[in-house]
Amino acid sequence: MIGSKRKSSDIIIEICAFALAVIVVFPVIYCIFAAFKTHSEFMSPALLPESFGNLNNFRNALSQAPLMRYMLNSFIVSFAGSLVRLVFSVLAAYVFAYFDFRGKNVVFFLLLGTMMMPGDILLSTNYSTVSHLGLLNTYTGICIVSFVSASQVFMLRQKFMTVPRSYIDSAKLDGCSDIGIVTKILIPISRSTLITLFTQSFLTLWNSYLWPLIITASKPEYRTIMVGITKLNSWEDSNYELVLAGVTISLIPSLILFVIMHNSFKKAQ
Amino acid sequence: MKKRQKKTIILFLAPIFIFAVLFSYYPFARIIINSFSKVNATGFITGFDGLSNYTYVFSRSDFGRAVSNTLLLTLLNVPVTMILALLFALLTEKKSTLGSISEFLFTLPMAISMSAAALIFKSMFSPDLGIINKVFGINTRWFQDPKTSLITVVFLTVWMGIGFNYLLFLYSLRNIPKGVVEAARLDGSRGLGLIMKIKIPLISQTILYTVITNLILAMTCSAPMIIITQGGPSRSTTTLLYMMYSSGLGSSDYGLAAVVSIVCFVLTMLLTVIIFFATRKKVFYR
Amino acid sequence: MKKTLTAIIALLLSVLMLASCGAASGNTSSETQPSEPEQSTELGSTDVTITFWHSASDQAGVIMDEIVKSFNETNGKNITVNAVYQGQYSDATSLLQTMLSAKNYSDLPDIMQTDATGKVPYYNSGRALTIDDALSRGLIDSAYVGNFIPAALSNWKFSNVQLGVPFATSTTVTFYNKTLIDSMGWDHIPESLTDLTAIYNADPSIEKAALQAIPNTPSLANWLGQDGSYLVDQNNGTEGNATKLECIDNGALEKFLTVWKELYESGALLNEDTSKDTFIAGNIPFLITSSSNTAAIVSATEESFETGAMGMLKVDDSSAAGATVSGSCIVLFDSGDDLKIKASAEFLKYLTSDDVQAKFASGTGYIPGTYSSVDSAEYQKVIEEHPQYKAAYEQLMSTPENMKSVTVGPSADFYYAIIDSVSGMLSNNASVEDTVAGMNDQLTLLLEEYARNNS
Repeated sequence: MIGSKRKSSDIIIEICAFALAVIVVFPVIYCIFAAFKTHSEFMSPALLPESFGNLNNFRNALSQAPLMRYMLNSFIVSFAGSLVRLVFSVLAAYVFAYFDFRGKNVVFFLLLGTMMMPGDILLSTNYSTVSHLGLLNTYTGICIVSFVSASQVFMLRQKFMTVPRSYIDSAKLDGCSDIGIVTKILIPISRSTLITLFTQSFLTLWNSYLWPLIITASKPEYRTIMVGITKLNSWEDSNYELVLAGVTISLIPSLILFVIMHNSFKKAQ
Repeated sequence: MKKRQKKTIILFLAPIFIFAVLFSYYPFARIIINSFSKVNATGFITGFDGLSNYTYVFSRSDFGRAVSNTLLLTLLNVPVTMILALLFALLTEKKSTLGSISEFLFTLPMAISMSAAALIFKSMFSPDLGIINKVFGINTRWFQDPKTSLITVVFLTVWMGIGFNYLLFLYSLRNIPKGVVEAARLDGSRGLGLIMKIKIPLISQTILYTVITNLILAMTCSAPMIIITQGGPSRSTTTLLYMMYSSGLGSSDYGLAAVVSIVCFVLTMLLTVIIFFATRKKVFYR
Repeated sequence: MKKTLTAIIALLLSVLMLASCGAASGNTSSETQPSEPEQSTELGSTDVTITFWHSASDQAGVIMDEIVKSFNETNGKNITVNAVYQGQYSDATSLLQTMLSAKNYSDLPDIMQTDATGKVPYYNSGRALTIDDALSRGLIDSAYVGNFIPAALSNWKFSNVQLGVPFATSTTVTFYNKTLIDSMGWDHIPESLTDLTAIYNADPSIEKAALQAIPNTPSLANWLGQDGSYLVDQNNGTEGNATKLECIDNGALEKFLTVWKELYESGALLNEDTSKDTFIAGNIPFLITSSSNTAAIVSATEESFETGAMGMLKVDDSSAAGATVSGSCIVLFDSGDDLKIKASAEFLKYLTSDDVQAKFASGTGYIPGTYSSVDSAEYQKVIEEHPQYKAAYEQLMSTPENMKSVTVGPSADFYYAIIDSVSGMLSNNASVEDTVAGMNDQLTLLLEEYARNNS
């Protein structure tokens, strides 16, 4: 009796959640539907396009900018950038979680401070630094500025702190090195957090625009997908449906990554 | 301190701090210098200027507006994003088939870039052609009315933030040991009481993280204004960083841009430190 | 604690020192001037590749790619143009600014398409090869320059220097919903703001507003220009840095604001930023916007109502007709490499040749910049087929040369200060006199701040 009663309340909750999820995802659905619309259809408030057979926007989007090449670039940059970022963050988070030293809080806030500096205003100095390092028009130049992620350090610190210190200390007594503790204990325990952070970081880098544009000024073949998408938007006559077709195309790799992420969650738990 | 420990600390912190110095502290230090200098339209320093950039910025009528808009946006964005994300996470905490679809849908906004999201919201909230007014049969001017524009921007920023926050909450809720919850049930905790007394404290470390990251994101928010509202109408959506962008970079006033950035940095840091220490004793680490 | 703090302070100080060194060296490092042109090399004798930055996106981007391709295939002088899309004009301008402030001159383009945002940065770049320079170096001749329509050409003049030549030209026009106006029962299509006020005052029962607009820098300059006044001194900032408003003492701003307030009080004006959506939805009969929107507006409305186009609404019946020019221009850079410069000049001439201009104009809705291309059969055919294109073309031809668009340093601030003041006057019911005084103070302060930073 009790079992079935609980089950029916669970079903109600599930349906509520699903209804809310549909509302939350609505803008994405709107974007995908709009990608099938013609220009004059887009100007009307109808949600559905007249026909899903209208692939002109996709065709135009793919022919007006080398989106596939740009996607490959974005993939390389986002993948490499996210990986380096994560490694740096794990190392730093380990120190912040398990070591005590004077001024630790100050150093930690100093790191958090990097999140509070507006990127746009650092742009011109960073451009000249990258230029002095000889990294203009390279993949390294695009992702080098994103190696620091204080928010990842913060998240991982929070995560690591849930692992009892005595546990770490006994591992140390057993002769485990610091690197060993990180790779053998902390990384397996934080797998889901790491996957989440990697995914989020990948998507952020995937979606960045101004820095990749400026850094690849002379070698457009190194450009990223978001730069390609703005080429679909004309200056005075906004062709939103074409842009949204480009966005829809750019969503495909993100969706694949999402599926991978959700699957590895299932495995991790 | 043991020598080995010291070595580890330095070795493990070095990579991230080398890049932080190179690409954050060094350029920001130059911004600090700019704020005390006369900077011409090309961005070159032409002389020392004392505090004139500061006095000029503080005397501008739109500066106070920018500060209050930024704080208001943060005050709205942070709780709304977190409450919604937490609610969604609690609803889908238990695994089920339909639930895993909902789970996927709730995280999907993460995949959309801010500029694409801004375009989508601009078109959905268009007063004359947008689907929102059409569906609800209303005539709200959304982004075009000074009374509703900031709220509409908050819709967008909340939507952008929800996916990641949801994922973190969901994950930490599922990580609560089953035994703890069962024990609380046996003690008679149910529903809201169980959530407030047991679950929330147990995920407090995630909550602290989301409060602070959402706070920083909201305080430094400028993209929706750059793409949709241009800070208007009547400066109702001019935030500090939009002011930096428009009155600073857009008007070739790099001294002003530096001062506004610094003000924004100091305010954000201040709030972060306050929250961090105010909640210090309340955050629970297992 | 003390030790770490000292260490951190030391770190911060060293970063600051490093930064100030960087700043100082950035300031004093010897500006390598472009090397003296070596003995001139003839075009065609060897392969030469030049870099071209443009901001043509969407349909215009496709046409631009075709134009470049056909030049590369047919120039016969071994010139290869490497065309790079650099984002929207404002993105390309920030890129230019960034490169200049990093003194990275080697990555500058040889030739670039830019709009009003790029004018001043280009002028200050130290690497500009202006049209005046090109003339004196014999890269182009005066007949070439003389072929440009004066109103379009003079838009790209700054500090008495002709920076570039027009590539895609647009002007501000008025679109009207003929179907809606007919249904409102008006006997004529109003051509001025005072005319609209009179119609609304005569019939208080009209519910729909006629116009949704807030004046900004270009539209205010247009309306003041129709009454023979500049917004700021130095001929709207085209001859040098503007220092004060020039529409105060002559009463032009006061007159305009009075007309504007009466328009609002009559119910004809919606005090909101212009949105194309409102017009396309059929909710408002007039839309004042750039003529480059013509193709988009015609296609978005052709199924729902009849759209007409005419010149920009005048202030009153005594005002001159016309509006300033906007759009994009082509500028050259001095790389110091004589062959590249010659090749760029060659490409410049190609971009402004009749065929290319007419092709670009008919594909986008812009107006060609030269006399010979507007007269070309191809463009005349376009005008005939789309009568809405004609309004812009006729207005461009009749706009007096001394109507100039505004160039000021603090451009974004200036723009929004005007919007806020004028819309604030209406929403707070402030007096015209107070608004004039307030605008004068606020805008002058912005100009002074810019002058202080750049003295």
